[in-house]
Amino acid sequence: MLAAKSARGLVAPAVLLTAGVFLAPFLLLLAMSLWSQPPGSLMLDVTPTGEHYRRITTDSYYMTGLARTIWLSLATTAICAALALPLAWWIVRRAGRFRGLVLAVVLIPMVCGALLPTLGIVNLIGPLGVLNGTLKSLGLIDRSWKLLGTQAGILIGLVHAFLPLMVLPLVAAMDRLPRDAEGAAMSLGARRRAVWTRIILPLCAPGLLAGSALVFCATLTAFVTPLILGQGKIPTFATMAYQQASLVLDWPFASALAVVMLAILAAIGALGWAIRQALPGAAR
Amino acid sequence: MKLSGVLWALLTGAVLLFLLAPVAVLIFSAFDDGKFFRFPPRELSLRWFGAALDSPEYRGALINSTIIACVSTAISVTAGLMAATGLSRGGLKSRALVELLLLAPLTLPLVVWAIALLQIYARLGISGTFGGLVLAHAVITLPLSVRILLATLAGIDPQMEEAARSLGARPLRAFLRTTFPLALPGVLTAAVFSFLVSFNDVVVTTFIAGARWMTFPVRMYSQLRGQGVDPITLAIGAMIVALILAAVIAGELKFKWSRRL
Amino acid sequence: MFGTGHFIRASLAAGAVLAAGAVAAQDFSGQTLVVGTWGGDIERLLKEHAAAPLEAATGAKVEFLLGGSGDRMSKIYAERQNPTMDATFQNIYEAPQLLADGLVVPPDPGSDMYKSVWEGMNEGCYAMSLVGLGIAYSKDLVSEPPEWADMWNPDYKGMIGMAPYPSSEGGGLLGVAARLEGTDEHDADAAFAKVAELGAPALVYTSLEEVFALMEAGEVAMAPMISGYVLAGLKEFPGIGFSFPTDPGPVLIRDMVCQVADSPNPELAEMFIGYALSAETQKAYAEEIYFGPTNSTVELSDAAAADTINSPDEVASLLQLDWSWLIEQRSDWTERWNKEILAQ
Repeated sequence: MLAAKSARGLVAPAVLLTAGVFLAPFLLLLAMSLWSQPPGSLMLDVTPTGEHYRRITTDSYYMTGLARTIWLSLATTAICAALALPLAWWIVRRAGRFRGLVLAVVLIPMVCGALLPTLGIVNLIGPLGVLNGTLKSLGLIDRSWKLLGTQAGILIGLVHAFLPLMVLPLVAAMDRLPRDAEGAAMSLGARRRAVWTRIILPLCAPGLLAGSALVFCATLTAFVTPLILGQGKIPTFATMAYQQASLVLDWPFASALAVVMLAILAAIGALGWAIRQALPGAAR
Repeated sequence: MKLSGVLWALLTGAVLLFLLAPVAVLIFSAFDDGKFFRFPPRELSLRWFGAALDSPEYRGALINSTIIACVSTAISVTAGLMAATGLSRGGLKSRALVELLLLAPLTLPLVVWAIALLQIYARLGISGTFGGLVLAHAVITLPLSVRILLATLAGIDPQMEEAARSLGARPLRAFLRTTFPLALPGVLTAAVFSFLVSFNDVVVTTFIAGARWMTFPVRMYSQLRGQGVDPITLAIGAMIVALILAAVIAGELKFKWSRRL
Repeated sequence: MFGTGHFIRASLAAGAVLAAGAVAAQDFSGQTLVVGTWGGDIERLLKEHAAAPLEAATGAKVEFLLGGSGDRMSKIYAERQNPTMDATFQNIYEAPQLLADGLVVPPDPGSDMYKSVWEGMNEGCYAMSLVGLGIAYSKDLVSEPPEWADMWNPDYKGMIGMAPYPSSEGGGLLGVAARLEGTDEHDADAAFAKVAELGAPALVYTSLEEVFALMEAGEVAMAPMISGYVLAGLKEFPGIGFSFPTDPGPVLIRDMVCQVADSPNPELAEMFIGYALSAETQKAYAEEIYFGPTNSTVELSDAAAADTINSPDEVASLLQLDWSWLIEQRSDWTERWNKEILAQ
């Protein structure tokens, strides 16, 4: 154990950095969400007003956009979970000496940033891309299959970008399962499905929950993927905030949008925390 | 039993293919001779790679990205390691609050935050400077460092270090001789991921960077909002991805990166 | 063609460049001029034709800040107390707003560079290039160069590509739509109702490449686009054409070059703008990327002349919109655009 004084000294640089460069702008953002712009000008008027919050909460356009964002995040989380469970299981139990290589492949979307893989996806599913080009030259379709500019296209990009965030915690959780748990259960006559629903899933629940939280948060604030793959037609929270901040230049309104989103995130976070506390073996 | 094993492997293969395909297509499309990618390509060539290596603008942007990523990684990992040590070994009462603060930047929509940060920077007269940009990058990479290093330290027994100190070693020396070597793979992992996040960042850099410190992703993004992505950009992107791929495979085999996230 | 007026303006412009050189006798070495502009061809042309001679004449260094023009607007507003950019390229949709908020130096009507530009074009900042909002179209789907009204042909419903809003393209399309209804952009209801009749856009493009790919794939028939880059890009896409409509004519769109107020290097910024507006730079813009010169003394090759707006008659045939009014509607119209046009 370190003395409290030296522990505080060790934590200080990170805390100061975060407080100065992250927290201060965040507080400015909170304040800005209550400011306004005088008519015909883009300068800021600091007289407090709740107008932006009223506009966001009463206008169905913004509420629908936020709801769509949450729905896309939930769908992404669910699809990631569905794909990651078998993959993680395979990595832990079957991959053997390929384990390292497969995990490296899993890491790819995470380490390449948002921009490059998204461009790859455009070239993959776009009208002149690999998928449509192949289907067309096989004579299976003559008009290209429309994925760009649809929610499906965005989902493909989001699942691709954030699948690693689900796979890694699951692999960690499954690594901790006793190796003979399912064998023991099956020798006692349990069916394969029961082994999964009664033993594996409950024991992996903390990993699944951690992965879900990561994927959900990342999706909620994702910007490049919905912008490029949605072709500007599917407004999500981040693209709406970008439109307001960088094109309309209405910073107070953009700030209010960010605050509303953050409030939703906090509420979901609290819910997740409560669920986690209720789970067996909550203390990690 | 056998059949389900095959199905399982097929499913896994499909998911892996899905993860790999966009990057593979990106690399492939850089070999397309035309100015705009189409599939099947009309002709393949290496000309965009040649052009990429010849262009001083791109070289400059890549060097900028690398310098910024290196410096912000150094800050992020040093501050992150100190904080993780303080948090995991210090028994601070406010530990939960400090952790929340340090991890909070992960949840913030960066677009709006960057504009607020720019206003503060402008007031202080540091907008467009190297220092300002590096601090911003250090803050967006810090949560990652802290997370990875907390997990790393949690797996290291503090007794060795305590023993060294009880034998009279100075605290820093005791740490460097006992805990640090054990934490080294975690530190390297944190460094690599911080580097990549900083190197790839578009949103914050677009707003914060000055003309002197234009990075490669910002250059690429500015094309994406105009004429369309230049094939030279695509060629460089392909090379970067290939490099990252090689690094990740090496890192995974050597340091088990995936376990530390 | 080559009247006295032209000749006088030519010598004035030449004088301006010489004067810039004379001022430069004082040494600017060690100073760095920051210019905000778009990445790609524009950056390359400015580097060759404006930055290089300025650097040679003054010993100063010119650096470019790349990005979208909206990102630059954000930067100028955020840094208003302490600007880091000296000169910036904005479009006509943005420049008057910057002047109204006092963030750029108003163009000086007495200066030679002001006078070298076509009359009435310097609005908010100096006019850098003239382009027209016309119609890019797929030659497979549209047999002849279309007029504006052809976009409303029911066969093409839902097959029109549009730019994001707010933008010059979006404002221009609303202005045209209102005129087809016999009114103008001040009648917002008519304009939005008419544009909504096009159906939801087939795509909202942020780069030319996206539009061209969908046109080749037969999914976008037409898109209101700005001449210039489009005409340059067409060489790669034989199946795509570009039409300058006549009823009403193409919408006049201008790229503007602005001197940021209270910037660190005002003299250098002014000199840079002088080089940017010089006949040489403007000729390169026209010959290489088909951006029409604003400098009335520029002489173009036949090929470039055919594809750019470069004569008084052509300038007069363009549809001029009330940009100040459009800019004032920015927030409300963005919301209407999002709801009435995108979300159909």
